[in-house]
Amino acid sequence: MDLMCEHIGEVTVVVLAGAQLDASTAAEFKSDIAPVLEAHAQVVFDLSQLAFVDSSGLGALLSCLRHVHAKGGDLKLCRILPPVRALFELVRLHRLFHIFDTPEAAIRAFQP
Amino acid sequence: MAGEQSMHGEVPLSALQASIRHYVRYALGKEWQHLSGAELFRAVALAVRDRLVDRMLATEARYRQAHAKRLYYLSIEFLMGRSLSNNLYNLGLFDLCQEALRTLGVDLAMVEESERDAALGNGGLGRLAACFLDSLATLDMPGYGYGIHYEYGLFQQEISNGYQQERPDHWLAAGTTREIERIDEACLIPVYGRNEHALDRDGQYKPMWLDWKILIGVPYDMPIVGYGGRTVNYLRLYSARSSAEFDMQIFNAGDYIKAVEQKIASETITKVLYPSDTVEAGQELRLIQEYFLVACAIRDIVKRYLQTHTTFDAFSSQVAIQLNDTHPAVTVAELMRVLIDENDLPWERAWEITQATLGYTNHTLMPEAQERWSIALFEHVLPRHLQIIGEINRRFLDYVTLVWPGEHERLQRMAILTESEPKQVRMGHLAIVGSHAVNGVSALHTELVKTALVPDFFQLWPERFNNKTNGITQRRWLLQANPLLAQCLTNTIGDAWITDLDALQALEPAAQDAGLQQEFRRIKRANKERLAKVIRELTRVTVDPDALFDVQVKRIHEYKRQLLNVLHIIHEYLCLIEEHQAPTVPRTYIFAGKAAPGYWAAKQIIKLINNVGRVINTDARVHGQLRVVFLPDYRVSLAEKIIPAADLSEQISTAGTEASGTSNMKFALNGALTIGTLDGANIEIREAVGAENIFIFGLQAQEIHTLHAQGIYQPREHYVRHPALQRVLDALYADRFCPHEPGLFRWIYHTL
Repeated sequence: MDLMCEHIGEVTVVVLAGAQLDASTAAEFKSDIAPVLEAHAQVVFDLSQLAFVDSSGLGALLSCLRHVHAKGGDLKLCRILPPVRALFELVRLHRLFHIFDTPEAAIRAFQP
Repeated sequence: MAGEQSMHGEVPLSALQASIRHYVRYALGKEWQHLSGAELFRAVALAVRDRLVDRMLATEARYRQAHAKRLYYLSIEFLMGRSLSNNLYNLGLFDLCQEALRTLGVDLAMVEESERDAALGNGGLGRLAACFLDSLATLDMPGYGYGIHYEYGLFQQEISNGYQQERPDHWLAAGTTREIERIDEACLIPVYGRNEHALDRDGQYKPMWLDWKILIGVPYDMPIVGYGGRTVNYLRLYSARSSAEFDMQIFNAGDYIKAVEQKIASETITKVLYPSDTVEAGQELRLIQEYFLVACAIRDIVKRYLQTHTTFDAFSSQVAIQLNDTHPAVTVAELMRVLIDENDLPWERAWEITQATLGYTNHTLMPEAQERWSIALFEHVLPRHLQIIGEINRRFLDYVTLVWPGEHERLQRMAILTESEPKQVRMGHLAIVGSHAVNGVSALHTELVKTALVPDFFQLWPERFNNKTNGITQRRWLLQANPLLAQCLTNTIGDAWITDLDALQALEPAAQDAGLQQEFRRIKRANKERLAKVIRELTRVTVDPDALFDVQVKRIHEYKRQLLNVLHIIHEYLCLIEEHQAPTVPRTYIFAGKAAPGYWAAKQIIKLINNVGRVINTDARVHGQLRVVFLPDYRVSLAEKIIPAADLSEQISTAGTEASGTSNMKFALNGALTIGTLDGANIEIREAVGAENIFIFGLQAQEIHTLHAQGIYQPREHYVRHPALQRVLDALYADRFCPHEPGLFRWIYHTL
């Protein structure tokens, strides 16, 4: 999965450019995203291209959140497609992540 | 093409013919003159389905406009039988279709016989569910069934050398015309995994369910038309699919076969109906089936509700969910999970909604049929649900402690999760605690639920328990199955009975009418002739339609006492050949029913019936005074031929064991006299027909209870004191009915 990063002020927006985040792609994703999360504390994931996530994929997103929290930062999500959103709700992840309709809204949410 | 018709045949005959011809050509790709019966059936069924779909869409629009409360009936079984005739009768198109086909040179009866039964159930529980759907639609009520789209229905039974053989029932093999696939409404269902403890953004404890596997539930809708054709509801059956084409990790690793196997494993979930209503614990696939049904149904129900509501405040006033026995009892935990985890309601509010929405029907008192799951298995399959059930149990036991402080034994009796080994989840207790209403299915059964099965719960919540005696739909079991008698009744008292069974009471003043009696006898004789032909085709045994047809058809089970019936037949036989005492009238004993494949004693009873039949039917000394036949592969469509022809209905279960029974009602409706015990709904039948019109024998439930409680039942005393009984049992012991398999039936002697 390609990761496309854009820095807007203090916030880093990462577009997850792949259709699926699952057992076959989760390890590679975690490895690729690690330097981004090391370098930045305010991160937004744009999930607009992600059509399928399995439990490994959700686990990978959760570990990203924990990593950023441990550093005192935050990770927000935006543009989640309905099937993926349903999975988030199904296992309560929507209560852990801040989820927004647009990247702009997510970025604004970092402002005090 | 179907929107123009209404009840009483306003569809032009030519339009129906054109529709059938259309499907022959464009769905089957055939010329008219080269059609098999099965192909004709498909074309006719598709033409009828168009007319159902039009009305189904109109019905849905009507419900939406009225903001109607909807009832969802969750059942692991729906024993639907055939649909074509039922649909035609209820649409008011039967005569028109018959005429349309006749002018095309086709006999509708032949087309009907080409339809395979949808045997998605074992017996009474599943057939009750099917009858309810017919009644709900006839009453114009928004009632929907939710079940499983089994690929294989209940096994097909063949009889080989008197033994039951099971064959798979691939009812979908020739395709199906009765349902609509709703791939666009497929839903995701997680299973397995683990709980992870976490805090949410506000610092609140929010456990999460992680590492699950995903199943996909694809719904198939079977339209259910009510009599008169105004309302068409549906039965929604879910089929399991795998979450992706393949597990990509395995696939990428180069193990193509393993990837395919995993995909197949997911789709196995809805492959087969469990062939018994007494399921042994520890069967992981069965637990997943139950959860799969519930999860698909709840997801669908909640989604539909949220299309027109933004909060759950009106949920229980817009949605009622009835649990048909404990198989869907995990609904209590699933609805709580959806409300709390997915919609963030506080526990107390979610619990109020859950209780107000759910109702539970108990179907059995048999200890072995009380559904329990090991906690270890439950946690493996449904970790989050077990966590929720644990909390329900904790709060419930706190409440019980408040009501009855210090009563530890009572706490143990009432707990949903047992503490002693083996640790189990009691699904019946979960259903009672999570529902606002609990019902038994006959007056006696409900009384025994309250006093013997769960007396502590009745003491705690007496207002929660009520009785709903089972029923049957007269549309299928009289109008369709017995058209001659139906016409006779309509000629005599009008047709109100078709939708209001109490209207049959208008017949009472005419009961002594000699002309009506003669007409009734003529109809019964015609139905017996029809059955005699079926018996000849299925068993090669010739029976005399003038003999008394003495019928016991139902699942084969010791408590239903087919064995008692056989002992009586042997007695009659021995009286005839040893004492030359012929029965008052010649009798043909007719049996049918399936035994659970793992139920050895029940299968032995089938073998005994067949062996006794072989001996009696080939003994020249009997002179046709007695006949015994066992009709293979009992199912709804066979019942429709047997029941109208019965003179005597055998309902002889041990008192206190049969929850209700429904075949007893079907026989009574078709003018058979009942011989039975005071068990299940026989009691209500006695009240309805009068004690002078039913033959009741045997001990009552309380007497049997006392006998066992005091330990004073001594079967050997009966054997010693009654020479007739002794002679029958000795005949079994002496291998009189199994000369080529010595000792085969001695277990009966020893067991009794």
